[in-house]
Amino acid sequence: MSSSHRLEGAGAAVLDEMTAAAVAASVRDALEGVFDAVSGTVADTEAVLAKAVTGGRRPVSADLAALRTGLHARLTQYDLVSGLGFVATPGLLADAPSWLEWWQTSADGALRPLLLDLDPDHSAYYDYTHWDWFTLPRDTGQRAVAGPYVDYLCSDEYSLTLSAPITVEGRFMGVAAADIYLRRFEAVVMPLLQRLPGPARLVNARGRVAASTDPRHLVGSLTKGPDFAAGPGGPADGAEHGGLLLRPCDGVPLTLVTAAPPAQRRSPDGATRGQVSG
Amino acid sequence: MPVDTLARVDAVVRRLADAIDLGLLAEGEQLPGEIDLAAQLGVSTVTLREALMALRQQGLVTTRRGRGGGSFVTVPDGPAEDRLLARLTGWSTEELRDLADHWAAVSGAAARLAAQRTEPADLQQLRRSLGELVEAEGSAARSRVFGRFHVELAAAAQSARLTREEITLQTEVGALLRLVLGDDGYLEDTADRHRAVISAVHDGADDRARALAEQCVQTSMARLIELRLGPADGTRSPSEGGPHEQQSPSRRRRSGSS
Repeated sequence: MSSSHRLEGAGAAVLDEMTAAAVAASVRDALEGVFDAVSGTVADTEAVLAKAVTGGRRPVSADLAALRTGLHARLTQYDLVSGLGFVATPGLLADAPSWLEWWQTSADGALRPLLLDLDPDHSAYYDYTHWDWFTLPRDTGQRAVAGPYVDYLCSDEYSLTLSAPITVEGRFMGVAAADIYLRRFEAVVMPLLQRLPGPARLVNARGRVAASTDPRHLVGSLTKGPDFAAGPGGPADGAEHGGLLLRPCDGVPLTLVTAAPPAQRRSPDGATRGQVSG
Repeated sequence: MPVDTLARVDAVVRRLADAIDLGLLAEGEQLPGEIDLAAQLGVSTVTLREALMALRQQGLVTTRRGRGGGSFVTVPDGPAEDRLLARLTGWSTEELRDLADHWAAVSGAAARLAAQRTEPADLQQLRRSLGELVEAEGSAARSRVFGRFHVELAAAAQSARLTREEITLQTEVGALLRLVLGDDGYLEDTADRHRAVISAVHDGADDRARALAEQCVQTSMARLIELRLGPADGTRSPSEGGPHEQQSPSRRRRSGSS
């Protein structure tokens, strides 16, 4: 399919249709790619911290400079990622009460460290331990997807943050994380959603819409009713709720929501494309 | 010098002086080089130089030449509130009223959208800030948390633009708010008003949330404008915390001046 076709206004309808299962799998694959960047940072950070711990000393901020080569390489390699790094649990380092080894791609393409004022006497934003991307991996021991949310700590952008816990000898040391601007996420998943036969949205575990082709249920809004967090893998595959069909993107906490087929009343050419209600 | 350049010099002077009075820039701290600082503030180096000259005259910056030289922050003796009162006179009532209108519009819109789009986890941050506002010692800490509450409200609205707008507004109004938040009685009123915003957002009552958030902004700014107008004619009762009482917050809350 050439891009000129799409510009002719034929829209997504002329693209081959995808099944909901295939779309959910592609969304999962896109996020799994970013989780690879997070896993690489987890491995690097655990190695650096373990070296200090087995050497019988507390890690210091200078130890974390060893992470930079890997962080820079991943920022360049992963198009979806706008920022990534390691966020230490407060009290971890011997020479700083709290620390973010965090790098971002700036508008001009340069890689820059995030420099935050973490002094409680100066800044109201010094405590980062209440953000979902920190608390979820800390409290569950599992990797997590936080957002969409307005990230007023690092970028002031509407974002998703993927994170994973870092533990050394069973002790929680902080999280590795990667930021995805929502607009970049949308650029990846919208072409997929548009290949579904009707309006569709991706909803996070709290019911917040992360991407949508339904103008009545746009990104950032809430889909109320279904429990999108039910069970570790989200709602049961193919579950119906008030006219909505729920399909979890296995392995990542997003659910693909489409309109349940109105008892096979849809005509073969798909002309009675219904709006997703709810 | 063109008028808009003069206005920009004033804006830079305000921002740097505010940063010093909010404790964002500490005593003895070296400012970035002129080119970097001008870029950070989004002004030309000429404008920045004019601003630094004004700050030197106010005693907020000292410049040393030669090796190890540069511009350094100096925090003058005496309570910050007294300096802020002096700086408040640099604002016209028209500017303050316009700032209040702008800020109320942003916070009001944020509250309305937050009420439509909020889920329980968004409220946790607002509740935490409310708790810290009540506990905060000193007007500088109170002003920081007050500002953060409004940033969090905009974030709960799921709007990056409104959030950025709130952050920008806080850099303008943050230091001045210290002048009204030092008063313990008024702080209680403020906390009650913000608590009511959280309830309305929680209830999904979008119009009520907007009206209450606008009130949060307007009542604080009205007090600031009263202060700017100077001592009243004495008809206000002391319990209302009139401008006269407000003029010496530092004597009542010495701990508040960091």
